[in-house]
Amino acid sequence: MIAVNQKKSSMWLAQSLRLLHHELRRGELTIIFLAIVLAVATVFSLTGFSGQIKHAIVANSTNTIGADRVLRLSTEVDKSFIDKSQAMSLNHARKIETESMAFAGDNMLLSEIDAVSETYPLRGELRIKTALTQENSVVVNAPKVGTVWVEPSVLSRLDVNIGDIIEIGVAPLTIAGIVTDIPDRSYRAFIAGPTVILNIADMPKTELIQPGSRMTYKYLFAGETDDIEAFEDWVKPQINEAQRWYDAKAAQNRLSRILDTAEKFLSLASMLGIVLAAVAVAVASRRYGQRHQSTVSIFKAMGASISHVKKLYCLHWTLLSCLSIATGLAVGYGLMLLGVNAIASYLSLADAPLTFTPFLTAVFTGLLCAVAFAIHPISVLVNSSPLSVIRGFSQQKVARFGWHQVPPLLALFILLFLFSQDAIMSAALLFGGIVVSFILLLFGRGLMSAGRSVGTKAGKSWHLALANLKRRASENSVQLVSFTIAIKLLLLITVMKSSILSEWEQQFPEDTPNHYLINISEHEIQPLQQFVDENNVANQGFYKVYRGRLAAINGEKTIREEDDSEQEQEQEQEQNAESASTEKSTEKSTEEKTEQSAGRRGAGRELGLTWRDELSPGNEVIEGQWWQLDDTKPQVSIESSMAERLEIALGDSLTFTLGSDEFTVPVTSIRKVNWQSRQLNFIMVFNRSVLEQYPTTAISAWSVSDQDRDMVYRFMANYPTVTLMDFAAIMAQLNNIIEQVSVAIQLILILVVLAGSLVLIAQVQASMEERERELAILRTLGARGKLLRNSVLYEFVALGAIAGLMASIGMEIAVYILQSQVFEMAGSFHFQYWLVGIGAGALFVGLIGMLSCWRLLNLSSVTLIRRTM
Amino acid sequence: MHVNSESILSVSSLTKSVQVEDKTLTLLQPLNLTVAAGESIAIVGSSGSGKTTLLSILAGLDLPSSGEVYLKNQPLHQFNEEQRSQVRAQHVGFIFQQFLLINSLTALENVMLPAELANLPDAQARGEALLEQVGLADRLDHYPSQLSGGEQQRVAIARAFISKPDILFADEPTGNLDSKTGQHITDLIFDLNAKEGTTLVLVTHDPKLAARCQRQVEMDSGILNEKASAVVAESVDVESTSANDVTPETSTSQVG
Repeated sequence: MIAVNQKKSSMWLAQSLRLLHHELRRGELTIIFLAIVLAVATVFSLTGFSGQIKHAIVANSTNTIGADRVLRLSTEVDKSFIDKSQAMSLNHARKIETESMAFAGDNMLLSEIDAVSETYPLRGELRIKTALTQENSVVVNAPKVGTVWVEPSVLSRLDVNIGDIIEIGVAPLTIAGIVTDIPDRSYRAFIAGPTVILNIADMPKTELIQPGSRMTYKYLFAGETDDIEAFEDWVKPQINEAQRWYDAKAAQNRLSRILDTAEKFLSLASMLGIVLAAVAVAVASRRYGQRHQSTVSIFKAMGASISHVKKLYCLHWTLLSCLSIATGLAVGYGLMLLGVNAIASYLSLADAPLTFTPFLTAVFTGLLCAVAFAIHPISVLVNSSPLSVIRGFSQQKVARFGWHQVPPLLALFILLFLFSQDAIMSAALLFGGIVVSFILLLFGRGLMSAGRSVGTKAGKSWHLALANLKRRASENSVQLVSFTIAIKLLLLITVMKSSILSEWEQQFPEDTPNHYLINISEHEIQPLQQFVDENNVANQGFYKVYRGRLAAINGEKTIREEDDSEQEQEQEQEQNAESASTEKSTEKSTEEKTEQSAGRRGAGRELGLTWRDELSPGNEVIEGQWWQLDDTKPQVSIESSMAERLEIALGDSLTFTLGSDEFTVPVTSIRKVNWQSRQLNFIMVFNRSVLEQYPTTAISAWSVSDQDRDMVYRFMANYPTVTLMDFAAIMAQLNNIIEQVSVAIQLILILVVLAGSLVLIAQVQASMEERERELAILRTLGARGKLLRNSVLYEFVALGAIAGLMASIGMEIAVYILQSQVFEMAGSFHFQYWLVGIGAGALFVGLIGMLSCWRLLNLSSVTLIRRTM
Repeated sequence: MHVNSESILSVSSLTKSVQVEDKTLTLLQPLNLTVAAGESIAIVGSSGSGKTTLLSILAGLDLPSSGEVYLKNQPLHQFNEEQRSQVRAQHVGFIFQQFLLINSLTALENVMLPAELANLPDAQARGEALLEQVGLADRLDHYPSQLSGGEQQRVAIARAFISKPDILFADEPTGNLDSKTGQHITDLIFDLNAKEGTTLVLVTHDPKLAARCQRQVEMDSGILNEKASAVVAESVDVESTSANDVTPETSTSQVG
C-alpha cells in the first residue's frame, strides 16, 4: 500500500515536472516568468538599495551631529550656557555656519563657510587628505589658525591647489587639506556651494560678522549621559521658538523621514510597473489556461481525478513561481549592486548589511503576482470538464465584473499598502488608478472607433488594421493604458528638462533681478548705490534687514507649533531661500500643518524684517492704508497669506523681539505680494521709526546684464564680505534636482515600458490563434503577403499612435498643473512634443507588435491554412 | 433491472435532455442497450442524431437525465465526477476524431499517460512497444506538432490500448483523415482490438467503417434502433461511392 502511494506521488510529481520542463522549453511560460522576474527584481533592487542607503547614512554613521546635543541659534549664546556646561563637566565645541564668497584671484565662488573651534567635532570624525594623491584620509579637529580645509570642488572651481591662498571675507587663508568626511554634514536640497572649513579664531578677521549678518551659531555638547540629561533639563526651559536643541536621533529621524518619503515615492511609482507586470501575468495565464484546457480534459477523460489535476498544476505553478522569484531575486541583487556601484563615489555602502526586509518584500510581491493574478484562470482550468474532449473546446468566457476580480484587486491593495504603509492612501491610489484607467479606456475606445470609420477610406491595409484594432478593443485597452502612461512619462521628462524651466525664466521682464546681494554693511550701501546709479544697473534699492521674532499677537504669546524636527526642516528651507528673498519660503510655510494647540501660533521662526517709506513695487495694499511719510507712529504692514495663516486682522497689535529689545506695533495694512516676481519682498514691513535705530546689514537685488557681468564682479571683489548670489547658480541647482528626479522617472519609465511590452506580447500571443485563422482566410481569399503584413503592422502602429496622442494630452494636463500650481505661470502648449509622443508610440508599439507576430507573418500560406483548417 | 454478467456495458431507460433558455431539448429518447464483452459495436447516424451524446454517457464523461448505465457492473449514473474518473482510468480507452494529444508531451509521454494514471507497471516499456506496433518506433520523442495527422492518430491508438482497457470508445477515429490514411488507422484499431480482446464502441457516420463492426445500432433524432447486419452490408455498397465526397465537409464541420 505504501509502495503504491509512493508510486502515485512520484507519478504526479514526474508528470508535473515533465509538463513544466516542456512548457519552459516551448516558451509558453516565458511571459509569466519574465513578468514575475521583473516585479521581483524591481522590488528587491529598490527596497534593497534604498535600505542600504538609509543604513549607510542614518544608522551606520555613529553620529550625524558631531556631538551628543546641539544648541542652534541665530546669535551667540549667553555665556552662562557655556559656564553651566563646564560646571556640569561637559565638553563643548562651537561652530558658526554661513554662506559667503571665497575668492582666488579673479575667481569667486559662493561657499558654505563652517568656522569651527579646536574641539570640534566632539563625536564622529572629521576627515581630510593633505594631498590629492593621498590614499587614506586622516582624522582631524579644527584647521590651524590661518588655514582652511575645502571640499574638492573648491579647488577646480577657483582654480587653486593645496597650499594656495583663498580669501574668505577679507581674510587670506591657506588651503591645507581636502575635506572627505564632515560628521554633521547637512543633507539639504539647496546648498549654496562647496564647504570651506576654517578655525573659528579666524572668523573676526573675515569681517563677515556684522550687526544683522545672517549666521547660524551651533553649540555642541558631549559628555556622560547623566550630565547631558541634567544639562538638557536646565537648557530646555530657556530656549525660545526660534532656537533649537536637538540630539542625533532627532536629526536622524528627520533624515530618515526624507529618505523614507523618497523611497515611498519611488516604490509607489514603481508600483505602476509592478501592476502592469501583474496584468501581463493575468493575460498570459488566461491564455495558458485556455491552451491547457484540452490537456486537463484529456487527463480527466483518461481517468485522472480532480485532485490529481489540482496537484499537477499547483506543483507546476509553484515551481514556476519559485523559479521566477529566484531569478528575480538574482537579477534584483545584480541591479542593486549596479546601483551601489554607481553611487560609490558619493556614498560607500560597503559595510551596509543586506537585511531580510527587501528579500521578504520581493518574494511576497512575486507570490502575489503569481497567485492572485493567475488563480482565476488556473481554477477554471482545473475545473475543465472532461466532456470537452467530445463536445469541443470553447473559449473561456470571462464575465467583465465578478468575484474573480476580487483576488487581483485585493492583491493590488496589499501591494500598495506594503509600499505606502497607509491604508487610506492605498485605497485612494487604487480607486484613483481604476478611475484614470477607466477614463483612458473610454477615451481610447472612442479613438479606436473613430479610427475604424476613418480606416474605411484609407486603403485596404489600414482598413483591415483599424477594423482589427476596434474588434480587439477591450484586449487592446490594457496595452493602450500602459503605453499611454509610458509615453506620458517620457514626454514629461523631456518637457520638464527642456521647456518648463526655460519658459519660467523667460516669462520674467527684462530687468528682473538675477543677482542677490546679502550682508551689505551700513557703510557699504552708499558706494554700492553710487555704483549701480553710475552704471545703470537695474536694481530695487537697498533693504535693511533685521532678524526678529514675532513673540506675541494681541498680547498672547506665540508658541512652537510643530515638533522639533519639522521645525528644523522649515528653518532649513527658510534659511536657504529667505536670504535671497526668493519666493519659496513663505509658500512652504503656508503649507505647513495648521494644528491648533494651546496658545497662539507664531511664525515659527525668525523673520526678516525691514522698514520702508513707500510701498515697494509689486506690492498692493488690500486692507487698511500705507502710512504717510510724516507719520512717526510705529506701525507694521503684514503680507496677506501670513496674516491669514496666523489669523491676524487689521488693528491687531504684534509684539516683536529683536535681540534683547521688544516692541509692540499695530497692524495698519495688509499687503498682497507677488512672491513669483523674484523681487525682494518681506512679510513684515515697518515704518522707518520702528527699526531705523538698530544697526544691521542690507540686502539688494540687481539685474546684471551679460556685458556688465565682469565689471560688476570686479567691482564686488572690493567688497569681499558681501555675499553675491547668482540666480543662475540657483537655477543650476534646480536643474540639477530636476536632473536627479528625471533619473528616477527614467527608471520608472524603463520599468513601465518593459512591463507594458510584456502585456503587449502576452496579448498578441493570446490572440495568435485568432490571428492565424484570419490570415489563413485572407490568404485563401487571395490577399497578398504585403497587404497582410501591412495590416498587422498598421494595427500596432495605430495602437501606438493612439497611446501617443493620449499621452500627449495627458502630458499637457500635467505640465499645465505644474505650471499653474508650482511655477505659478501661464500655461502653454507644447505641440512639438505631441509629434514626438505619437511618433515614439507608433514606432515602439509597431516594432514590438511586429516582432511578436514575426513567426506568424513568416508562415507560408500552405502551413497557415493547414494549421488552422 | 437485469445485469447481464456477460455484458460489459448495459443501459436501460436512458434519456438525456438539456435546458436551452426556457425550453427543454430532448437529445436522447428512452433507450436500452447491452454490449457484450469482446463485442464490437458501431453507433451510426447523421450529425445531430445524438450518437456523440450517447457515447459520452456510455463512457462516463456525462451523466444521463434519467435511466441507468452500468459499465463493468458499476452504476455510472450514481457516480460523481471523481468516481467516474476512476472507472475510466481502470476500464476505458478513448480514440477521438481530433486525436487530442497533449501538445506539450512527446509521443511516448502521451502514450504512457493512461498507464500512469491507472498505476500500471512498466508504462514506458509498454508505451515503446505499442508505438512500435503502430509503426512509430522512431518517433518516440517527437511532439504532436511534429507529426502528421495519421501519425498523431496512431499515437492516440497506442495510448488507447496501453492501459489494456476493457472497453474502447472511438469517436469518428478517421473523421479527420484522408481515406487512405483512414483505412490504415481502421486496420490498426481492429487488429489491436482483436489481439487485445477489447470491447469496441465506435461512433461514426462512415458506413464502411461501421460495417467492420460485429453489430450496428443507428441513432435517429435521439431514438436508437438496432440494425440487422445484412441490411447494413447492403447499404454499405450503396453509399460507399459517395462516402469519400462527404468526408472533408464533415470533418470541417466538427472542428472547434
